[in-house]
Amino acid sequence: MLGKGVVGSGGGTKAPKPSFVSYVRPEEIHTNEKEVTEKEVTLHLLPGEQVLCEASTVLKYVQEDSSQHGVYGRLVCTDFKIAFLGDDESALDNDETQFKNKVIGENDITLHCVDQIYGVFDEKKKTLFGQLKKYPEKLIIHCKDLRVFQFCLRYTKEEEVKRIVSGIIHHTQAPKLLKRLFLFSYATAAQNNTVTDPKNHTVMFDTLKDWCWELERTKGNMKYKAVSVNEGYEVCERLPAYFVVPTPLPEENVQRFQGHGIPIWCWSCHNGSALLKMSALPKEQDDGILQIQKGFLDRIYKTIHRPPYEIVKTEDLSSNFLSLQEIQTAYSKFKQLFLIDNSTEFWDTDIKWFSLLESSSWLDIIRRCLKKAIEITECMEAQNMNVLLLEENASDLCCLISSLVQLMMDPHCRTRIGFQSLIQKEWVMGGHCFLDRCNHLRQNDKEEVPVFLLFLDCVWQLVHQHPPAFEFTETYLTVLSDSLYIPIFSTFFFNSPHQKDTNVGREGHETQSKPLNLLTVWDWSVQFEPKAQTLLKNPLYVEKPKLDKGQRKGMRFKLCLQAQNFSPTESTKERAVMHQRQLSLPLTQSKSSPKRGFFREETDHLIKNLLGKRISKLINSSDELQDNFREFYDSWHSKPTDYHGLLLPHIEGPEIKVWAQRYLRWIPEAQILGGGQVATMSKLLEMMEEVQSLQEKIDEKHHSQQEAPQAEAPCLLRNSARLSSLFPFALLQRHSSKPVLPTSGWKALGDEDDLAKQEDEFMDLGDV
Amino acid sequence: MWWGGRGQSFNIAPQKEEPEMGSVQESRMLEPRSRQPSSCLASSCLPGEQILAWAPGVRKGLEPELSGTLICTNLRVTFQPCGWQRNQDTPLSSEYDFALVNIGRLEAVSGLSRVQLLRPGSLLKFIPEEILIHGRDFRLLRVAFEAGGLEPQAFQVTMAIVQARGRSSQAQQYVGITPSKAGQGSGSRKPPIPLMETAEDWETERKKQGARGWRVSTVNERFDVATSLPRYFWVPNRILDSEIRRAFGHFHQGRGPRLSWHQPGGSDLLRCGGFYTASDPNKEDIRAVESMLQAGHSDVVLVDSMDELPSLADVQLAHLRLRALCLPDSSVAEDKWLSALEGTRWLDYVRACLRKASDISVLVTSRVRSVILQERGDRDLNGLLSSLVQLLSAPEARTLFGFQSLVQREWVAAGHPFLTRLGGTGVSEESPVFLLFLDCVWQLLQQFPADFEFSEFFLLALHDSVRVPDTLTFLRNTPWERGKQSGQLNSYTQVCTPGYSQPPAGSSFHPQLSVWDWDLRYSSAQILQFQNPGYDLEHCPDSWLPRTQPSFLVPGPPSSVWLFSRGMLTPLNQLCPWRDSPSLLAVSSRWFPRPAISSESLADQEWGLPSHWGACPLPPGLLLPGYLGPQIRLWRRCYLRGRPEVQTGLSAPVISGLQDELAHLQELLRKWTPRISPEDHSEKRDTNTILNPMEIAGILKGRAGEHLG
Repeated sequence: MLGKGVVGSGGGTKAPKPSFVSYVRPEEIHTNEKEVTEKEVTLHLLPGEQVLCEASTVLKYVQEDSSQHGVYGRLVCTDFKIAFLGDDESALDNDETQFKNKVIGENDITLHCVDQIYGVFDEKKKTLFGQLKKYPEKLIIHCKDLRVFQFCLRYTKEEEVKRIVSGIIHHTQAPKLLKRLFLFSYATAAQNNTVTDPKNHTVMFDTLKDWCWELERTKGNMKYKAVSVNEGYEVCERLPAYFVVPTPLPEENVQRFQGHGIPIWCWSCHNGSALLKMSALPKEQDDGILQIQKGFLDRIYKTIHRPPYEIVKTEDLSSNFLSLQEIQTAYSKFKQLFLIDNSTEFWDTDIKWFSLLESSSWLDIIRRCLKKAIEITECMEAQNMNVLLLEENASDLCCLISSLVQLMMDPHCRTRIGFQSLIQKEWVMGGHCFLDRCNHLRQNDKEEVPVFLLFLDCVWQLVHQHPPAFEFTETYLTVLSDSLYIPIFSTFFFNSPHQKDTNVGREGHETQSKPLNLLTVWDWSVQFEPKAQTLLKNPLYVEKPKLDKGQRKGMRFKLCLQAQNFSPTESTKERAVMHQRQLSLPLTQSKSSPKRGFFREETDHLIKNLLGKRISKLINSSDELQDNFREFYDSWHSKPTDYHGLLLPHIEGPEIKVWAQRYLRWIPEAQILGGGQVATMSKLLEMMEEVQSLQEKIDEKHHSQQEAPQAEAPCLLRNSARLSSLFPFALLQRHSSKPVLPTSGWKALGDEDDLAKQEDEFMDLGDV
Repeated sequence: MWWGGRGQSFNIAPQKEEPEMGSVQESRMLEPRSRQPSSCLASSCLPGEQILAWAPGVRKGLEPELSGTLICTNLRVTFQPCGWQRNQDTPLSSEYDFALVNIGRLEAVSGLSRVQLLRPGSLLKFIPEEILIHGRDFRLLRVAFEAGGLEPQAFQVTMAIVQARGRSSQAQQYVGITPSKAGQGSGSRKPPIPLMETAEDWETERKKQGARGWRVSTVNERFDVATSLPRYFWVPNRILDSEIRRAFGHFHQGRGPRLSWHQPGGSDLLRCGGFYTASDPNKEDIRAVESMLQAGHSDVVLVDSMDELPSLADVQLAHLRLRALCLPDSSVAEDKWLSALEGTRWLDYVRACLRKASDISVLVTSRVRSVILQERGDRDLNGLLSSLVQLLSAPEARTLFGFQSLVQREWVAAGHPFLTRLGGTGVSEESPVFLLFLDCVWQLLQQFPADFEFSEFFLLALHDSVRVPDTLTFLRNTPWERGKQSGQLNSYTQVCTPGYSQPPAGSSFHPQLSVWDWDLRYSSAQILQFQNPGYDLEHCPDSWLPRTQPSFLVPGPPSSVWLFSRGMLTPLNQLCPWRDSPSLLAVSSRWFPRPAISSESLADQEWGLPSHWGACPLPPGLLLPGYLGPQIRLWRRCYLRGRPEVQTGLSAPVISGLQDELAHLQELLRKWTPRISPEDHSEKRDTNTILNPMEIAGILKGRAGEHLG
């Protein structure tokens, strides 16, 4: 049984059965107080976690303020989280809570996950910050993962209210020092427990070897070299210890402007063209320095402009593209659509849903990012050009765009390991300032820009449009986005590798006895049991057939039956669970089938040229570049998709969608019982199992000498016949079977049953 | 069979002539200007169809490009690819036909700059190089004409289309295909969809639903109660036909209360027209009306169908806006797409329908009562709501067979004025309520992908069938007109025996072909795609045990009468409006956004009932659809078909890929087990056809077990 080890971390107020909802009127609570203490649940603390303050008899509203339904319990604030401990722990033993986070319970909010805190004073809602003169009767907490909690403090002792409210406000909103992050206390306390997962093969890019490996994988090692000039962060604190530059580039150039103005290699395409990034040189007023800068850049450009290098196209992301300010504004508007205090609010916005969504322009920003990535892909793929991304620090939009490009062009990045390595390479080592952008330390609200979230949303669009191309699921992306706020993983809690290494004591001046061993988020077993982890993996993903060129042609007709899908990352057992296998027929065929049907692929360029400029809405200025883009885009979409080749998203208006799983999962109104994607998914899984078992039987037959291990398929989707559309998240939310209809009320009006009995005979006769 | 290869059967006088046709046509050749209309061209004509003009051309836009002939007849525009012979079994083509009424917009193009929009009556100003036909069903046909001396033909065919379209927009009565297929036709329909034109059909359906307190009334057999009503309908057992005749007179257009659906739990869903307020019924009439409405239940809920739902004009306007938005060249910018979509209000109407249907289905299923849908005309929204309620509550209705009979019963037989609503008789009362219904069904399909036996393909096929001039199903306004046309009326007038168990002896009428004869227009491979591969067999109706049947009740004064309106239940003093107050429904209701309601909106409590709580579990088969903004989606595969860039296969290729794989494995297994006797392959099919995965898997499993284990 899952989740048993973690007692009390989730109170389960929003339990699936109505019996867990206590309908106690607030007035009755005082009389019940003695009982409360008896039922109390123990708080589950992580190693190194300390309780800071707490309050009892807090009423947590189940849904909306008008209904007064709620659960009472204790509200605790530790140096890691805010936890509510309800008295109905039994709810946890439910089958439905299988997808449970081992670190964060249902009613836990990590301090970094708190977005806004509101207090209600005499029915008025106000933002809470700083020192309070008056304490609210109700506390509303908006979380960054879009949960909304409401706690009623009216029945709590005044002392406790003061303590808990000011405690929560202080610990979530006051600026913090890096050293005070829970990360460090946890790592110190849990030192012995940390064992790196041997199965975790994510490339961390913190050694020279990793970079060489990546160069070799992408065949970029002919023209680019990994350098260790920044070892010990002597040249620059922004750059990682090791990185890759064009081979002829003299290493002393790197030192010249602390790594600014240096083309740094991101990735090489199969045709030899490469994606590079460069942080802009500091802006100077002085003419002399400007001259020096100019000369420096000229020399750099000369190196990368001459053969063997391809023509370089410079893409300046600081101008003519999104600004961080735009992203920030859009997201803060967008998230308000989902942070619902009560259902009344929800229904109010529901009527204008589409226009509200549009006015946030979040989806439009996603579209622009995807479009930019396609443009760059087109340059590299079709025109065989090198693309140099230019940004002030090369650590925000550079990371975003270059990751997207790689995701579209490199099928390796669409595996789970590949994707994790990509994030490691472009974001973590690329020096994306997670600490500032997520505002983990609450030091500067203006720096808070959800660039990484924007990236995940872009990836979601791709996953949603081409599900079979990715090894991971949208659930994976959702939990990854949640992990941004869990301060036991080092991955998203530093601004740069330099900052991490100095603080952990690996390179630090204050040499501790032994460097702290920090957890990485890629070790999913920290958060999820293996069974729950199956939901992170796409059962429809098919690994790339590993064939050499000679064989490939014959393969079209010859069937490949052996399960040759050995991947070093999984144990045999896990593979069986995942149904990871190879299709027995070439992949490209799969898309041809719908053609016979009604779904026509209307793909003619002429129509666009003809009805011409009216159509091309994507085109702002109809210059040559745009035509190239359009043609590339159209011709790709007119062909059947090869899931192991180039992958482009659709970017038309109707195609960019809301990441429903992440944004709607906590809204009970949004769930469809027994419906949604899950229904298809479970059906598909069933079919896959069928296929798999058949394949095994054939295998068995083929080499009758060896006994294939029987695959058992314990699938989370299996047990319950009708899941909610918000699975796996919604199950935790469901608190009552929706329509409850009165029967007693009707009884008074007329007892039908008696009448029914009287009438039985008469009607039967009439019927014959 | 006479449209087959035998003769050139164009230009035939409508119907009735049957196989002797072969000889007549040779004499009548086409007009002189068409030089060589190959025999295959003409052979595909329907009875009563005339070829007006034709020109060779190339169909563009779809892969692959096809060269062939563009033909304009008095019924349709058809593109006939070279060498393509109309299959005898599928005389109409879903792919190449464009009914004239379906043409929404016509554009002629010459060069890169000259584009002329052709309205009925307008004159073509140049020789077209290409013609674009935008269908009202969101399809797009694009044909480029060949140069080299054939330009006059291109001009002619274009003008012919313009003129023919102008003519067809006046009330044009299609004949439909008469069932000359006789024997073979009925054989190919596996379980024939009951057309609800005979008393037996109604009796069978009544028994199936287990509506024991109801009987089939023959009072309208001659259509003298109401022409818009079906010949037969269900009324309570104990009400006499004479009473019904009198009572129905007090309803708008004579459409009194009839049973729509009997819920296995015991509730009844009824539908009726508005009260005819000008009439002055006597006491007995009122009593009859009341006992019909309450149908023996002590609780009666009257639902105002028009309340909260869009008016017919609203639906039409929304549909027009939607069509404009989905045109390939609509000028909406990408970043304004969402608000433009919202501006059409189409999705709003879809959710209003779903919300109301969901509310009603809770009313029907949660408690034994009589729920009456009342709409003034009883021919539009009542059909929509009653079908949706049944789809939500009855798993049977979600099967392929069940859905088709549902549409046949609640729309076709119930007298939805298809011809008028779909624009067959001019623009004035056009309102695609049926298409709105199909969109609602599509939403359900999206939300509950494992609960429906039919697929999106099927809905799309149905969507595209509404204007095709092949069968009478959607081309008539009333059952009376339909019957008149098919000639059943005569044969039936003599036969009014109350013992309807026997079919009329020696009846000479042919089994009427209906839209449900899919093989008229779809190939067997396409028809196989009507099956939803994701249908979960657990959800098929048999798996729900029939619940115990509470029995019919004493007729008597109902103990509670409620009106359900604006999401509220309000008590009513009496069912009929005539005694003192004017009818509630006489006031035309407008669509109101419902005031904010919590998630518990489905509870009676919030609808205004006394607040005693008691859990009443919902029946297992009930679907509660989502109707929030983020949950209602655009049916892209239907509406955006004309926009090439917006075609993405979502999960469809995935499933079909799996199916291919299953088929492959099957073949392989066969190869490896050559000992299987050939007779064993009764289910062997063309590998190209899509197979039901469960079936294959089942077979495979069985086989594998047999031969390996």
